[in-house]
Amino acid sequence: MSGLIPLTVRELRKWYRNPVFFIVGLLQPIFWIALFGSAFDITKLFSGIPKGAAVLPFGNAPNYITFIVGGILTTTSLFTALFSGTSLIFDRRLGNLGRFLVSPIRRSSIVFSKIVSTTIRILVQAVILVGAALLIPNGLKLVHGISAPDIFIIAAALIMIAFSFSSLFSIIAIRLKKQETIFGIINLINLPLIFASYALFPAALMASWLANVAKYNPVSWSSEAIRTVILNGNLSPSQFHSVMLDLLYLFLLSVFMIILTIVLSEKEIRD
Amino acid sequence: MEESEYILETENLVKTYPGGIKAVQGINLRIKKGQIYGFLGPNGAGKSTTIKMLSTSIKPTSGTAKIMGYDIVKDSMNVRRIIGVVPQDLTTDEDLKGIENIQMVARFYDIPAREARKRAEELLALVDLSDFGNKYVSSYSGGMRKRLELVVGLVHNPKVLFLDEPTLGLDVQTRAKMWDYIKKIRDELGVTIILTSHYLEEVDSLADIISIIDHGKIIVTGTSDELKSNLKGDIIQIEFATEAEAKKFGEYENKIDVSYPKETEARLKVKDADYELPEIMKYLVNNNIKPLKFSVHKPSLDQVFLEYTGREIREEEGGDVRKMAMNMRRLRR
Ligand SMILES: Nc1ncnc2c1ncn2[C@@H]1O[C@H](COP(=O)(O)OP(=O)(O)OP(=O)(O)O)[C@@H](O)[C@H]1O
Ligand SMILES: [Mg+2]
Repeated sequence: MSGLIPLTVRELRKWYRNPVFFIVGLLQPIFWIALFGSAFDITKLFSGIPKGAAVLPFGNAPNYITFIVGGILTTTSLFTALFSGTSLIFDRRLGNLGRFLVSPIRRSSIVFSKIVSTTIRILVQAVILVGAALLIPNGLKLVHGISAPDIFIIAAALIMIAFSFSSLFSIIAIRLKKQETIFGIINLINLPLIFASYALFPAALMASWLANVAKYNPVSWSSEAIRTVILNGNLSPSQFHSVMLDLLYLFLLSVFMIILTIVLSEKEIRD
Repeated sequence: MEESEYILETENLVKTYPGGIKAVQGINLRIKKGQIYGFLGPNGAGKSTTIKMLSTSIKPTSGTAKIMGYDIVKDSMNVRRIIGVVPQDLTTDEDLKGIENIQMVARFYDIPAREARKRAEELLALVDLSDFGNKYVSSYSGGMRKRLELVVGLVHNPKVLFLDEPTLGLDVQTRAKMWDYIKKIRDELGVTIILTSHYLEEVDSLADIISIIDHGKIIVTGTSDELKSNLKGDIIQIEFATEAEAKKFGEYENKIDVSYPKETEARLKVKDADYELPEIMKYLVNNNIKPLKFSVHKPSLDQVFLEYTGREIREEEGGDVRKMAMNMRRLRR
């Protein structure tokens, strides 16, 4: 796809050279972990549950951070993905897009440069987030260690969710002139996306209608896949099955978003 | 592909924006290789819309255009490879260095890095920016940014260069400098240049052929001299306190033509103002009418414009005001 590489290089340069973007991007996941992860002390919750209860709502999580790290990775990627939309709008307003549109490059590569660069940003943030979670006292505990296939599953889930969210916001921005609209949209969708999912709470603690809705939420797919791998050593056949199903859904979503992005950006993008 | 005498030809090019805004209403052009072709028109005339269609950033509503035989819609990728564009709005990225902007665009055209570097150096030297290639664009002045736009538009050796309002918002000296660069580009690089402007001096000093465009239509085309000699006469324009006085003045006999740009203003065309003025003075005194404002215009493109469009070229600012304000702000720094 001609144009994709130089445009992605541009995006990444703008990112790492902008100290505010960079520092905010790094601090945001650390705050999430420090505040959210240690604000809830689930041992208190455990103490209310009789010993040997049939179902533990947080499964075998040693602490809350370990339980929600997959959810936080997913949630921060939702917020960071917003950049792919806003920067497309900025390119339009600042005139950069005018240059791209008269150059012999595929129009979809303009949009994919946003998606790819945002996905890279999200991955860098994820590494920092996991590092921070491991370092803080009573932080992330990898009780069963972590294997290469585990890392592969985590990375795959994260890349696919980052890609899907970035595509979503880019598609929204393909014809927008004002970034207010896109901020409005994220305000509208991010609460239901985060709270009607298994990102922060286990299904067992949810009202049954909410737990049912959350099944169809991509945030749940990626949170659950990552969580299952982190909380368990060797996956049982049923755990393996559910992780693969989550990854399959994420894969189908990503493919759908790629096709939608290509079709819409080739046809609809304009100055 | 058959060789045409013309590098660019259009047939009935039309653009209607959503909401029924008829920005361009049927433009026919024949542009020869090596020319500088100038579009002169006021704000909102449809200059940018025409350039945007020809440079493939928007699609025409109807009509066709070919550049070196390539159709601007069906062969848009090929058109993009042979044209260079400097749009009305700035396009370079402030967060990158000058040279990084150039290299990025060079990669759009698959130009190898080494060649791109060489080309960038040559072009930066051409517009006296050699010392600034390694500086961030955010540190450039308005004039420097416009020059960088020229470099970016030329990096792939285009055969045709579109310049939309190349000196908009620049001060007089910087504008004159810009004209020198544009002439240099034509002479040294042999590029056919199509430019738009609402500065008469600009098209007058740069363009070989001028088209006056208004309300989306080409009103007249010719060389600067041809257009001026079509005028056959000088203009005497007087503003009065009352409409009656203006009408009375309009009855002056020895005239070619009269028009009333405003109710209290009359515009007389006479054969030779130098001989007619004393008579007109007498006429004014005899009829006891007192001018408030009095001006004489010898043939100029200003006059040509007025003659063909019935209005002055400098009028209300139109277009995308928000973007324009943003660009102006960036240019003034
Ligand atoms: N994207 C758009 N959507 C709707 N109307 C537009 C759009 N762009 C331009 N117009 C309208 O089309 C007409 C022609 O605009 P255009 O920008 O081509 O004029 P111009 O001759 O370049 O003027 P200027 O000297 O201000 O740059 C104007 O009435 C303008 O308001
Ligand atoms: Mg314009």
